[in-house]
Amino acid sequence: MTVDLNLVGAKGAIAEAAEGKWGMSIDQDICTGCQACVAACAMENNISFVGEEDAGYGRSQHWIRIERFWEGAYPEVKATPFQPMLCQQCGHAPCEPVCPVFATPHSEAEQLNLQVYNRCVGTRYCANNCPYQVRSFNWRDYHTIPERGNMVNGTLVFPLHNQFNPDVTVRRRGVMEKCTFCIQRIHKAQDKAKSEGREVEDGEFTTACAQACPANAITFGRVDHPESLVSQLTHQKRGEKHLEELNTLPRVTYLKEG
Amino acid sequence: MAVASKYLPGAKQAHDTHHEEEDHKQYLMFDPKPRGEMNAMVMESMHTTSWKFWVVFGILSVIVAVCFFYAWGYMIAEGLWVAGVMRPSYWGIFLVNTVFWIGISHAGTFISAILRVFKAEFRRPFTRAAELMTTFGLIQAGASIFMHMGRVWLSYWMFPLPNERQLWPNFHSPLMWDLLAITTYVLGSTMYLFLPLIPDLAMARDRSTGWRKTFYKILALGFRGTEGEWRHLITAMNFFAFAIIPVMFSVHTIVSWDFAMAMRPGWSSTVYGPYFVLGALHSGMGAVAVVLFIMRTTMKHMDYFIRKEHFDALGKLMLMVTFAYTYFFFNDYIVQWYGGDVATDNLLHWLEEGPMAWMFFQMVAFNIIIPPLLLWSKKIRQTPWLLALIGIMINVGMYWERYIIIPVTLSINRMPFTWKLFEPRMDVFLTIGTFSMFLLFYMLASRLIPLIPVWEVQEGQMAHSLRKVGKAHVPTLSDFE
Amino acid sequence: MSQKISRRDFLKLATAGGATAAVLTGCGPASRYVTREPYVKMPEYTYNGLSTYYATTCRECAAGCGLIVRTMQGRAIKAEGNPANPVNLGKTCARGQATLQGLYNPDRVEAPVKQARQQALAAEAMNWDDATQLVADALNNTNPAEIAFLMGTASDHLFDLVTDLTNAIGAPAPVRFGALSMFESRATLSKAAEKSLGQAGLPYFDLGNADLVISFGANFLETWLSPVAYTRGFAKMRRGNSKKRGYMVHFESQMSQTAAKADEWIPLLPGTEGLVALALGRLVAEATGGSVARVFSTVDVREVSIQSGIPLEQLEHVASLIAEAQAPLAIPGGQALGQTNGLANAEAILALNALADNFGKPGGALLSPLAPNEDTYHRPANAREMKDFIAKLNSGSVKVLFVHGVNPIFELPKALGFADALAAVPTVISFATFPDETALASDYIFPDHHGLEAWGYQRSATGTMQSALSGAQPVVSPMYDTRSTADVLIEAARLAGGKLAEALPFTDEVAFIQSKIASLIGRTDGSFVAPEINSFTSYFQQHGGWWKTAAESAVLSAAGALNKNLNVNAAVFAGEGEFFFVPFVSPTLGEAGANKPWLQELPDPMTTVMWNTWVAINPETAHELNLENDDVVKVISEAGEVEAAVYLYPAIHPGVIAMPFGQGHTAYGRFAMARLLESRLVGLVPRAGEVGDPFPRGANPADVLGAYFNEAGDLAFAGMKVKIEKTGEKQYLSRLESRIGVYGEGLPQEGH
Repeated sequence: MTVDLNLVGAKGAIAEAAEGKWGMSIDQDICTGCQACVAACAMENNISFVGEEDAGYGRSQHWIRIERFWEGAYPEVKATPFQPMLCQQCGHAPCEPVCPVFATPHSEAEQLNLQVYNRCVGTRYCANNCPYQVRSFNWRDYHTIPERGNMVNGTLVFPLHNQFNPDVTVRRRGVMEKCTFCIQRIHKAQDKAKSEGREVEDGEFTTACAQACPANAITFGRVDHPESLVSQLTHQKRGEKHLEELNTLPRVTYLKEG
Repeated sequence: MAVASKYLPGAKQAHDTHHEEEDHKQYLMFDPKPRGEMNAMVMESMHTTSWKFWVVFGILSVIVAVCFFYAWGYMIAEGLWVAGVMRPSYWGIFLVNTVFWIGISHAGTFISAILRVFKAEFRRPFTRAAELMTTFGLIQAGASIFMHMGRVWLSYWMFPLPNERQLWPNFHSPLMWDLLAITTYVLGSTMYLFLPLIPDLAMARDRSTGWRKTFYKILALGFRGTEGEWRHLITAMNFFAFAIIPVMFSVHTIVSWDFAMAMRPGWSSTVYGPYFVLGALHSGMGAVAVVLFIMRTTMKHMDYFIRKEHFDALGKLMLMVTFAYTYFFFNDYIVQWYGGDVATDNLLHWLEEGPMAWMFFQMVAFNIIIPPLLLWSKKIRQTPWLLALIGIMINVGMYWERYIIIPVTLSINRMPFTWKLFEPRMDVFLTIGTFSMFLLFYMLASRLIPLIPVWEVQEGQMAHSLRKVGKAHVPTLSDFE
Repeated sequence: MSQKISRRDFLKLATAGGATAAVLTGCGPASRYVTREPYVKMPEYTYNGLSTYYATTCRECAAGCGLIVRTMQGRAIKAEGNPANPVNLGKTCARGQATLQGLYNPDRVEAPVKQARQQALAAEAMNWDDATQLVADALNNTNPAEIAFLMGTASDHLFDLVTDLTNAIGAPAPVRFGALSMFESRATLSKAAEKSLGQAGLPYFDLGNADLVISFGANFLETWLSPVAYTRGFAKMRRGNSKKRGYMVHFESQMSQTAAKADEWIPLLPGTEGLVALALGRLVAEATGGSVARVFSTVDVREVSIQSGIPLEQLEHVASLIAEAQAPLAIPGGQALGQTNGLANAEAILALNALADNFGKPGGALLSPLAPNEDTYHRPANAREMKDFIAKLNSGSVKVLFVHGVNPIFELPKALGFADALAAVPTVISFATFPDETALASDYIFPDHHGLEAWGYQRSATGTMQSALSGAQPVVSPMYDTRSTADVLIEAARLAGGKLAEALPFTDEVAFIQSKIASLIGRTDGSFVAPEINSFTSYFQQHGGWWKTAAESAVLSAAGALNKNLNVNAAVFAGEGEFFFVPFVSPTLGEAGANKPWLQELPDPMTTVMWNTWVAINPETAHELNLENDDVVKVISEAGEVEAAVYLYPAIHPGVIAMPFGQGHTAYGRFAMARLLESRLVGLVPRAGEVGDPFPRGANPADVLGAYFNEAGDLAFAGMKVKIEKTGEKQYLSRLESRIGVYGEGLPQEGH
């Protein structure tokens, strides 16, 4: 496959179908805000925790975060429905054109926003330009902070490193990262389907967040297949996309109450 | 030579012949000194170094070593967490510094190139000082960009270097434009600094011994002052003077595009290009005033070259730039406010009533309200220390402006859940480091290269003369072409 | 010990694809031990990049959710829910996800140690032979009546083994306890079921088939009983019926995470939940025109409205909702039960269900079935029984205390004095995996495996109407020199000989488990059928347990709940303070999550605070007390005091303050503790002490709880009144949310 890298991510060059390929629907009416998706995402994607001080200073690495706001005052106060916010995998992503080194290209095959960790030089322009504010930066080598390891015979050993998912790169300092729609799972499912000479079936695999979600509020799949579950959910009346007015063509649909 | 003569309106009319002479003596152009004496004065100013110079030099060196090199090295080794950057202010003080230094660097080229092109005579003694500001400012701006990068050791990936994977930089990225523009500007302005320097270097070569002679000999490129050499030099200078002006305008416009092209409330503004150019001039003029004041008070013989008339002229220029800046400032904010976009409204609320409101209003006062009130007065304009103080004030205001545009504006975005105020951390040390390095470079330069373009002053003095028209002595200027 | 086999043989036995386990073949009891081979000695048929999946059971709480753990080259790398397990149907909560952070925690007890009750974990390792001999001697040389076992709520197989052991030698039965069960008030629920439903047991509320849920403090979306199952039920209630969206009303004095999902959150004064339920019952009965049942007949609705602080119109509105609903369901839980009148509250709330005639019916109050090899529901000890147990320890009549899977020094209210009682016990042997407070206060720590390295089974007490037994198997070979407590006891019993050896005549733990599940062989009503024990064990491992395919539901009569006189006394609050004190279990940390860094970094769903404890106060109240966010306050009750930072919480009754339980550890590893940092440009205000000193992270609300109980013996944890005092210090809470964007901090108020 030949990809003209100078065109990928360019304005106009990614005028792809508005619905995209992979998509997600999140039912805010049943999301209980339990954080299982956040934990699952961290476990699957080798996301580092940053500790109390940095977490409070806006440096937490959550690829998915659950937002809630308040309406009204006591006793008529209401918490707005929990709103899991993650990379919307925009079809027309503001993060893509601004990277000077093509570390945030658009995947033509999967129609996802990629993040190439080993190409990233850390200008953080993409994160600035992301209207959803879902990119997180590796401010330091969180995984190898010495206090997290044990000294065993003179070497620093990090037992927590045993947990690393070998399918996902461990990021070092100075690199941007974000939700990938668990692209390692997409590829695994595609490889398997290919070796069996078939198409990937709906529901054959899912992202870590959707797999964990106890309420089944997150559904992932092909939004361009009308018969897929996610496609049907997405096209419900209560479906809504965030900041659509910016023409970002987000791939995540939020299902509202009512 | 004197083909055309014109009346100089700037000079004061006087009927008393004796007083006429005295009055005109206050202008450098009408107070000529023999060529040899002037050369000697400039050479002496370079050689006269008091112990105070070395004390300041030593302190600055230590600050640069600690706050620039050590702090940067520490930050590279530890990661950017030692600085204040975070979500949502992914850009922090480093880019504030970059924009600030590029702004400072503007005045140098502006004064020297535009004024040269328009033949503004008061420019003559301080073009060099201003051009040096350009070069040294750009060095600090460049360093700040690299400080800002998460993986600075891979920064060469931003350059279009051939590689076997055919990976090319992304020319859609404003950062790439920025990189190219700044590189062009660094090369152009350095050439433009160097060309007018050649005759002075040759002059210094002829009056030096020892290592200095070797140093100047290499730099002077064998300039002997022949008619042909002058002709080539003047052509080249004119060429660069004309060429550097669009580059200068484009550089700061492109710097503004880093912001204006982004999808952020407060940034996405079409007027950002000229607004930034004027902002750069605003801070640059102020910086020139400060530099001239320091030169005049600390270096020998400089009170001959740099006079009240220059501060006066600079003051007028500052006044004009202030008005132009004010126009774009209101253009930017009023149009954004009128737009009524929710995110922008939130941002404006944040600026006017948030915790950084003091900075916002200080910026308005320092940049827009106070300068015209003061610069109106000729007395103030002609008081060097006052003008320097105004210059510092404008620069503080302009630093606040960039601080507001980057971390404070970034605090507010379309996701209220992430709003957060930036808190500077180790970036403060690095900022001190860049400022110290700028001063250190300047101090070094003041000992190594003639800060006064002697030949330009002499050329001016030769062209200016008092002519008798009737009973009055009228100052006139001869054009050499 | 039986022969050891290498990992490659083990891998032969367990293969899987996708997220489901594949068939294990030829698995005999010989395959129960695995050793981890280095990467360089990989068997040739192990493909790099291919994972092996093992089914096991989550031990982060007692719910018994099934897990499928993905392993690769001997390392467990991801825990997912077991789709076949009827409790969680493939889902997990955040704590289940983070179970690997326990396995790979850098602060595990890595070898048996003679702890000798030191402050820090003893450094000198013992060898296991000595350790086992020591256990054998302790069992053999002590009068059986003077032996005590204190155990956690997981895992059940060890509880069964110890029960067999104590029965055989005539020792007192093991005592089980857990902070979660304390805050769930399991004894109250069980007693209320006995009184209202007619049978003791854990009630199960079938949210999924209800269309209106009236919850009285039940925090079923957080940690309550079986949160994954209840969350599933909630989702089905809300969205499962395409024609009607389920409606939910929640009565609680603060807006918990569960309350936040309710369509209506109605704040009320703590302790009035039962009265409100009775008033609703009366209003519903009146609205529907039927006769008012005896249980509701004595209540004065107007009086209830005044006492609870709920306007009469609001009560009438809820009553009309109930009257109109097809399948209304009332759930008692949380602080409604943690009152001195908790049992009466529970009965009153269950009476609402009786009124709706939903006992034993879909969408109603059901009784959880017993697990497959369970004779009767064994509930964990309630707080009053723990008080009696502590009194027994204090009396000196316990010479040897074995502690497993529970950390009572941290979990029990300080006022009960467990830490002091330990001093009266000559020998305390802990089997803790982590160096928690109780383990450090022991004489010996003989560390058990982590749950993912261990065999076992867990009975699902509730969460599904299918009788289920979740099986656990090692998914990795042990990281450290730890040993299964069951094996230690079996071996010790063998060494001791006599009655002990007869009680545990097993070669090892697996043989014991087989003996316990042998009764299921040949059963055709379950998830699989196997003719003999070896294949049954293989299937048991492969499926992750055994459960009945059909739901079973006892026939229950509503008559008992309605036709009785129920006297809901006013709740009694201990102490003098002006605030009702409501502790609740942190939804992200649970009782024992504090040492898992990613659980610490998960923001609390409501406050988004990470890594610390807060005191939730109504902003109006705080304003009156001149308190701001992050002001450190002292919460003082008659039982004790704790310090924590204030969080101005907009959704809490002005007379109530709330604190999460889960932090405030004085031991339990580096992530459960905080450390003084060298310099802080922003962030937390350093406390007194040397740089690097560990100090408790957050505060433990159990320290201010007094020894007060409800009628069923459960702790009246929400029955305290406290004072608060400003200390003048500040401690900046790490929040994920923006104070500017969410609360308008630093912005003019009308702008938002």
